[in-house]
Amino acid sequence: MASTTTTAPRPVAGGEPLLVVSRSWRSRVAARLGAVVLVAPGVLWLTAFFLVPLAIIFVVSLGTKDAAGHIVLDHLGLQNYAQATRPEYLPAFANSLRYALITTILSIAIGYPIAYWISRYGGRHKILLLILVMLPFWTSYLIRTYAWMIILRDNGVLNGILQGTGLTSEPLILLNTDVSVILGMTYGFLPFAILPLFVSIDRLDEHLVQAARDLYASGRGAFLHVTLPLTMPGVIAAALLTFIPAIGDYVTPDLLGGAQTTTAAKIVQVLFTSGRDWPYGSALGFILMIVTLGGTLLALRFLRRELFA
Amino acid sequence: MKSSNRWLTAFAVAIYAFLFAPIVVLIIFSFNNSRRTFVWRGFTLDWYPRLFENADLLDALRITMEVAAVAVIASTILGSLLGLGLARLRFRGSGATETLLLLPMVTPEIIMGISLLIFFFQLFGAVGSVGQISIAHITFCISYVAVTVRARASGMDPRLEEAARDLGASAWGAFRHVTVPLILPAVLAGAMLAFALSFDDLVVTAFNSGVGSTTLPIYIYSSIKFGVTPQINAISTLIVAVVSIALFIAWRLGAFRQEQTSLAIEDAPAA
Amino acid sequence: MNERHDGSGIDLDRALIQALVDRRLSRRQLLEAIATVGPVAALAPILAACAGAATASPSPSTAVPSTAPSVGAAASPSASPEPTPVPTPEGELNVYNWDAYIGEKTQAEFEAKYKVKVHYTKFPDAETALAKIRSDGKGAGFDVFYPTSVDVPALVADKVIQPLNLGLIPNATNLGAQWQNPGYDPGNVNSMPYMWWTTGICWDGDKIKDDLTSWESLWNPAYKGKILMLDDIREAFAVAAFRLKLDPNTKSEADLDKMVALLEEQKPLLRDYDTDDIGFMTSKSVVIAHAWSGDVYQMYDDVPNVKYVIPEEGAVRGSDTMVVPSGAPHPIAANLWIDFNLDAKVSAANTNFIGYMGPNAAAMEFIKKEILEDPTVNPDIALLDKLVELLDLGADLDKYTQRWNALKA
Repeated sequence: MASTTTTAPRPVAGGEPLLVVSRSWRSRVAARLGAVVLVAPGVLWLTAFFLVPLAIIFVVSLGTKDAAGHIVLDHLGLQNYAQATRPEYLPAFANSLRYALITTILSIAIGYPIAYWISRYGGRHKILLLILVMLPFWTSYLIRTYAWMIILRDNGVLNGILQGTGLTSEPLILLNTDVSVILGMTYGFLPFAILPLFVSIDRLDEHLVQAARDLYASGRGAFLHVTLPLTMPGVIAAALLTFIPAIGDYVTPDLLGGAQTTTAAKIVQVLFTSGRDWPYGSALGFILMIVTLGGTLLALRFLRRELFA
Repeated sequence: MKSSNRWLTAFAVAIYAFLFAPIVVLIIFSFNNSRRTFVWRGFTLDWYPRLFENADLLDALRITMEVAAVAVIASTILGSLLGLGLARLRFRGSGATETLLLLPMVTPEIIMGISLLIFFFQLFGAVGSVGQISIAHITFCISYVAVTVRARASGMDPRLEEAARDLGASAWGAFRHVTVPLILPAVLAGAMLAFALSFDDLVVTAFNSGVGSTTLPIYIYSSIKFGVTPQINAISTLIVAVVSIALFIAWRLGAFRQEQTSLAIEDAPAA
Repeated sequence: MNERHDGSGIDLDRALIQALVDRRLSRRQLLEAIATVGPVAALAPILAACAGAATASPSPSTAVPSTAPSVGAAASPSASPEPTPVPTPEGELNVYNWDAYIGEKTQAEFEAKYKVKVHYTKFPDAETALAKIRSDGKGAGFDVFYPTSVDVPALVADKVIQPLNLGLIPNATNLGAQWQNPGYDPGNVNSMPYMWWTTGICWDGDKIKDDLTSWESLWNPAYKGKILMLDDIREAFAVAAFRLKLDPNTKSEADLDKMVALLEEQKPLLRDYDTDDIGFMTSKSVVIAHAWSGDVYQMYDDVPNVKYVIPEEGAVRGSDTMVVPSGAPHPIAANLWIDFNLDAKVSAANTNFIGYMGPNAAAMEFIKKEILEDPTVNPDIALLDKLVELLDLGADLDKYTQRWNALKA
């Protein structure tokens, strides 16, 4: 991939072709220097503290374990991977995927208007409003989740309101269901959508929208043809930042979910802890990673083609 | 556009209510006269003074804050540079770098936690410490910062910087006075995400913590065994209160107006 | 005699560990040391290969000889068979345990008595803590750890923990007869029981009027959506085993298939699999739960009419233990800590605060009456013999894990 990109400028995930690279010799040198200064520290860090440890655990995933749970690396092979693709685990993978997709869609559907509202109508309170979005997340996750349990449980706040207003007569079972899992996850990942959406929408030049309104005459047309395409980098970033952590989340489905909401990441966790089978757990973890990464890269490629064709 | 304003505002208010609903419940239950957060048994202020007698909890809070401070600062710097580099430059290996950036995000937490645990032990004989937790947190925060910064920087018009250069600014000057203000909101957003991630992390922390490094999330999960007490609500309430007061003061002092001017720069050239 | 032999073996290990802690060993020696202990031991070859160049360079270390005498000297009283004057403990002690799973004043009293600074580190949950303790094969720098009894045999076999220095634990004689010679650790040479419990059924007496006596109640369709099972592989399978009159420690695939089929049948009726039985009962999310006796004691305030029964088909009894990891930097203080917690008054204070029964016969007279007279926490001692202890299954645990994961998925 890298070799094809060095000569011709091509669109990056973000948006327009990078004119600067092809413009002059000076810029080309600057780009190379810039790459060293800007990119190298982060890449080095991630190589040392992420890639190397990951390589170790990949080797572990090829090993086996003995009766006591010791990792044995005598006969490396793909046996754990073969075993991990058992059909019994499919429902858990399906749960992970379903929760992550719905959470992502909801987060963007809710997050976009909020980010737009903060950016356009926030005035000089913009940053304050943005920080307010984050404020709830500077409390403990578990306590926030407990608070949701208090709201959602059978005799909880929400059922109290519903029954008090006569909307329902029987308490609705909300906690430990798909509803509570999706609500909890959407709640948890909403800021991950709002922040990148905001930075992207806020960058948008209001004059462009004004010009478009003059041309399309309808607010909706201007939004669909100008605002939305121009803020697509933000939408993509928001989708990445919600979908990816959501698919690996097992704490929310565990706490707010019930007997029927087990996710793939939970199975990985069980293998590592109660199951004492690190090689198998690593293999299943890698499969989860590959599925997520593959899906993400495919989606990114598709989105880019759609946007920049 | 003004017509949609009202609906949008109503929607925004509803969403803020959604975001703060559990926080309100959490605060109310910090005054709960029961050992457990779950069942309301009358009003008390007892949990607040008891908080300050609980050296363990305060220690856990201090360690959590120290780790978060290190993680936020380091990951914001590394991540912002990386995001900026990916957005602005095409270089050999940028595709690979992009994938590298996605990888920590797609890695299940427990895999990341255990891989770092093995890594530190095998190479350094280390079995967990506050420093090790900090390194782990920096590692998983970088990607989030980079993706956020990149989203803003990628659409930024590079001619702005060129223009500054043409007008006689040095490379550093152009970076400092043009690029930095333009990406600052994204850097800030990334830092806020990093703080939330670090502050709440349980799984990676659990495997890389060592003697004496009980963080707040570990403390809280450990207390599930006998029921989480409203002390945890109380400490969360105090954190929210302190942050809110700090925000209010900063806002009154005009701290956020600075942002406005830097955002204005961006709009100006295109106008 | 045996003890003496073991003792000197530990001293060597300790010297090595001390040297590791001091990090004065070369990479090669480190890898060799790793290869002798620990679950990640087998990883050493990769690293050895990676570090091949480094190991070629001669970097002799004198760490072992130089540290061995001092450590040996400090630990030498351990080799003596009978109680001797208490040796001076190290200045610090690293304890790894649940939050609040100890008397309120125990730590402070120990610190005052022995002039030792105790670092009480909490673990997020038992499984993660165990993984952490096993991560370096010798306890991750902790001096005292609290594993569940079922995990003790594997910790011994893997040398993750060291034999106790019984000369420093005279209070071991306080243990009740039931606890002198437990199946998981005959003679308590590697571990000391800390607290024990039974696993049974609890229910909200306001919602369920019947007197339940059978595990069958957890399959009763009348409570659909209001039933909790503990999110614990072995405990959940044990319930199925009791219903089917099978051995809860079975290794037979055929038995396990029958057990998992029964659990499959139950799954649609369940609200959740979760270890937070207290939370589910006190929030009234469920009316009946598979629960630990000590937890039921915690529910009294919020579920005033809670009932608990050890079902007639049989039940699990378990205990948490105190052990000293093989890499403990402060072994003397660690053994003194264990002894201190077996003191009659300290043990009673622990029980009085957390509501779990200790195994301490001498402590009985200091335990609160309401705990002693509560059959939930303190069942008839005769009943105890009928209960089953879960045993370590070694590699056969996989058979459970696999079915459990498939069940939950």
